[in-house]
Amino acid sequence: MADVLVQGLLVGGVYALIALGFVLVFKSSQVLNLAYGEMIAVLSYLVYEMLAGWGLPSWAGILLLVPCGAALGYVMERLAIRPLLGQPFLSVLMMTLMLSFLLKGVVVLFWGSKSFTLPFTPHGQWDLGPISVIPGAAVSFLTALVIFMLLTILFRRTRVGLSMRVVAADPGVAQSLGVRVRQIFSLSWAISGAFAAVCGILVGMVFTVTPVMGDIGLGKGLPVLLLGGLNSIPGSAVGGLIIGLAESLGSYYQPGLEEVIPWLLMLVILLARPYGLFGERRIERI
Amino acid sequence: MAILRTKTQWLLLVAGLVFLVTLGLYVSGEWMNWLIMVGIYTVAAIGIHIMTGLCGQFSIGHSAFMALGAYTTAILGTRYGLSPWITLPLSGLAAGVGGLIFGVPALRIKGFYLVLTTIAAQFVIMWAIRQPDWTGKTYGLEVPAISIGGSALTEAQYWWLTLGLAAITLFFAKNIQRTATGRKFVAVRDNDLAAEVMGIDLFRTKLLAFFIGCFFAGIAGWLWAHYLLRINPDLFTFKLSLWFLAMIIIGGMGSTSGAVMGAVAIMLVDKAVPALSPVLESVFPSLGFQIPAALSLILFALVVMFFIFLEPKGLYHRLERIKLYYRLNPFAY
Repeated sequence: MADVLVQGLLVGGVYALIALGFVLVFKSSQVLNLAYGEMIAVLSYLVYEMLAGWGLPSWAGILLLVPCGAALGYVMERLAIRPLLGQPFLSVLMMTLMLSFLLKGVVVLFWGSKSFTLPFTPHGQWDLGPISVIPGAAVSFLTALVIFMLLTILFRRTRVGLSMRVVAADPGVAQSLGVRVRQIFSLSWAISGAFAAVCGILVGMVFTVTPVMGDIGLGKGLPVLLLGGLNSIPGSAVGGLIIGLAESLGSYYQPGLEEVIPWLLMLVILLARPYGLFGERRIERI
Repeated sequence: MAILRTKTQWLLLVAGLVFLVTLGLYVSGEWMNWLIMVGIYTVAAIGIHIMTGLCGQFSIGHSAFMALGAYTTAILGTRYGLSPWITLPLSGLAAGVGGLIFGVPALRIKGFYLVLTTIAAQFVIMWAIRQPDWTGKTYGLEVPAISIGGSALTEAQYWWLTLGLAAITLFFAKNIQRTATGRKFVAVRDNDLAAEVMGIDLFRTKLLAFFIGCFFAGIAGWLWAHYLLRINPDLFTFKLSLWFLAMIIIGGMGSTSGAVMGAVAIMLVDKAVPALSPVLESVFPSLGFQIPAALSLILFALVVMFFIFLEPKGLYHRLERIKLYYRLNPFAY
């Protein structure tokens, strides 16, 4: 039982990281990047290709992937999202959904339906006292912790983080204050892309690289995001842990329940408190 | 204002109907299959047009409501032996009630969050369908064929059935825009706070839009089930829900003919995939067998992106501009 709880927490850390990618983009450009899951998938396959196909050593592949992810995010923003500034949100939403299909098509095109495990996946189990832990999940959790701290510092202490928050609050005011709004948008998408690279490595390590891993962005990322609040970093951390726990408890008591628990939790939170546990904005209600 | 105002419009309508009916006599094989699928998806597209285009309640869960309709007729037909004609309104009702359940939150959450609720609805409904034994789990169910006079319908007869239902649905949708209910839908879409202030009951109007939209999805599901004669949960994917939304975006939001045009356009794109695949396979032989699957995703994405960038108001708007140009030529305005 303790195993189940710990496993749930660790996996929840990965989910929190995925939701964090959404939060990054939403916090600065008010766009929900539904293509994030597929970005993770593409970058995961890319790192596999670099490590297994081109024969790079593990550390080189990982280091090289992060700028690739940043480039992917930047290109997506410049080509697909920036032309739609000012359009109704449905256009942007459909655009991100179509981008996710495009990326999924790219994955299917180059790698078909093959599944891989990343070469640096740790094997076996670690035993911490009475609890046995899968090392991949533990490493992901620790990485997630570090990244959360880094991001909180970025948003609270640096000028760039401050600019992002200003742009998210009111782009017009930000521009009149001298903040280059379009640059901030591109920067936030690039950071989110770099993030997707890290997520790609971690998710590929914990869940193996499969053609359907892109669905994890929608299936797990969205519920965590809504549970925690769309523009809240601690929210996605807490939301991720809650959903990870709920999922493993649910699958412990009844297998097959784990796919639907995040969605049910998301429905509950949408009905009770749509802006999430830690979200800032109030939604109008009639 | 009447739906058909001039003699020319009546003539075009009659000619169009005659053409479509005679198509059943000459077309066969995969194009007949394509035509029937266009008809079925048109019914569903009109449903989502009423919900999203007219009333502004965005929904990416439409294929789950189609599944409700399809499974209703399958279960009632195989387990209780009800005739398909009786299950027709019942599957519409089942899907409509399902839509009501997921539409109740629509009062409290708007726009963007409603989209997320309907995405959740899609996955939760499909998961729920996969669980019990009496829905056939992941294997699916058999569906009895519709028969008139003792023998099952042929392809051509099924096309006429689909055409008839699509025509009735289209007429209903066009008619609803002329009534007070239709105007209420549009008022809620444009500004629901102002609509409430003017005295429109938001709750009822939104729920009614959901019910009607999902009713038509149920009818489309009924049609699909009796066409395929065997349904399983994998037919009703998230991608199909996105197809319906794309149909009304490509065709033009808020326009009934746009929904039809969008359905035809998306199905044409789908037909283009097996036509283009051999060409691409000869250019990139190393990616051979993966090309059709990838192409269907990529081509769909590119077409919708093209429309979002260049023609966000859809094909119907483009048609109106062409008609305007023809009327005003050589003047510009």
